[in-house]
Amino acid sequence: MIESQRHSYHLVDPSPWPISGSLGALATTVGGVMYMHSFQGGATLLSLGLLFILYTMFVWWRDVLRESTLEGHHTKVVQLGPRYGSIPFIVSEVMFLFAFFRASSHSSLAPTVEIGGIWPPKGIEVLDPREIPFLNTPILLSSGAAVTWAHHAILAGKEKRAVYALVATVSLALVFTGFQGMEYYQAPFTILDSIYGSTFFLATGFHGFHVIIGTLFLIICGIRQYLGHLTKEHHVGFEAAAWYWHFVDVVRLFLFVSIYWWGGI
Amino acid sequence: MWRRLVSSHFKSLTALSPSSHSRSASPALRFAAAAAAAPSSASFINRHVSTQSGGKVKLRVEDVMPIATGHEREEIQADLEGRNILEINHPEGPFGTKEAPAIVKSVYDRRIVGCPGGEGEDEHDVVWFWLEKGKPYECPVCSQCFKLEVVGAGGDPYEHGHH
Repeated sequence: MIESQRHSYHLVDPSPWPISGSLGALATTVGGVMYMHSFQGGATLLSLGLLFILYTMFVWWRDVLRESTLEGHHTKVVQLGPRYGSIPFIVSEVMFLFAFFRASSHSSLAPTVEIGGIWPPKGIEVLDPREIPFLNTPILLSSGAAVTWAHHAILAGKEKRAVYALVATVSLALVFTGFQGMEYYQAPFTILDSIYGSTFFLATGFHGFHVIIGTLFLIICGIRQYLGHLTKEHHVGFEAAAWYWHFVDVVRLFLFVSIYWWGGI
Repeated sequence: MWRRLVSSHFKSLTALSPSSHSRSASPALRFAAAAAAAPSSASFINRHVSTQSGGKVKLRVEDVMPIATGHEREEIQADLEGRNILEINHPEGPFGTKEAPAIVKSVYDRRIVGCPGGEGEDEHDVVWFWLEKGKPYECPVCSQCFKLEVVGAGGDPYEHGHH
């Protein structure tokens, strides 16, 4: 009880997940290098490592949910940690993606002679931004609106509607991912096709990876909402997911304008 | 959504500052007790439902957050009752003298206390000391007197480390 604890903070019990995550990371990195240098067992170690990391994430965050929702350790001040901590995290993700945007503009603003001195490079058949990209962008934007709808539903105590809203959000996200996959499959150029292909697929690829992560996060939120974990007073996890989702959305807008649209002219 | 997030925290911040200002403005006694002084949000919930007759219906924790449990529940409970769980860490009062020592509450039989001196000019660097049950203490710098009042289970704070 807080009376016996004499402070509002949460001193976490000892846990094996940090070390298990580290071991997973070790296996991933070593396995990755082994794989890339065609060592025997590299691929196995790499995949084992990745699986282990995923497992660690699952059990670690499950523990967080248990400590917060089921044991009540997350008092107001404790909530400030994850809440204000997710902001620097999202900012770090912005920085990461910014690098790829910079890479793209570095190559596209002053195209070298090797690619014909023009952008898009000579011979590259770019995707028409008015086709799938133009459809996908509003799909993602609507899912952003849906997540806001879900938030308002949670704040208003309309628990069932919040579940529906989250289902809508995730469905739109999955449609987006599906269309992106299709677009990748049908693209007339690959990642190996000059600097255009590299920057295009790295930027859109990492964005897509973040969309998938965000979708997973929102699915978890949907499940939790269904189970009744989220209340109108306390839903920090959902807010973090929503903020992350909005960030993904904004990046998509920048992607559309700079890489799909401007980059194709 | 952003506004709501921000304003709710502004609410807790502004609720916090008047109380800390009033602490320094209060007549003289300036002594600080040093358990983890958590910046707890004072009255972040202001929930009293008014009935039509103008009377107020007291809310229960269930009305605010039905699934609250553990420390979170205690926090909400205390907030609804209007009490601050951590007020034991912020004692206030006039300058302690031998006849009327400054009372510092404690869960255990002894706790660390810091004396910052009197008001204004009489301030000094904080002097830290252990205040024990049954042993009133006098600050070596300004001679403010302190006395411990055990309000909890008693015992030594370092015995029975937490589970």
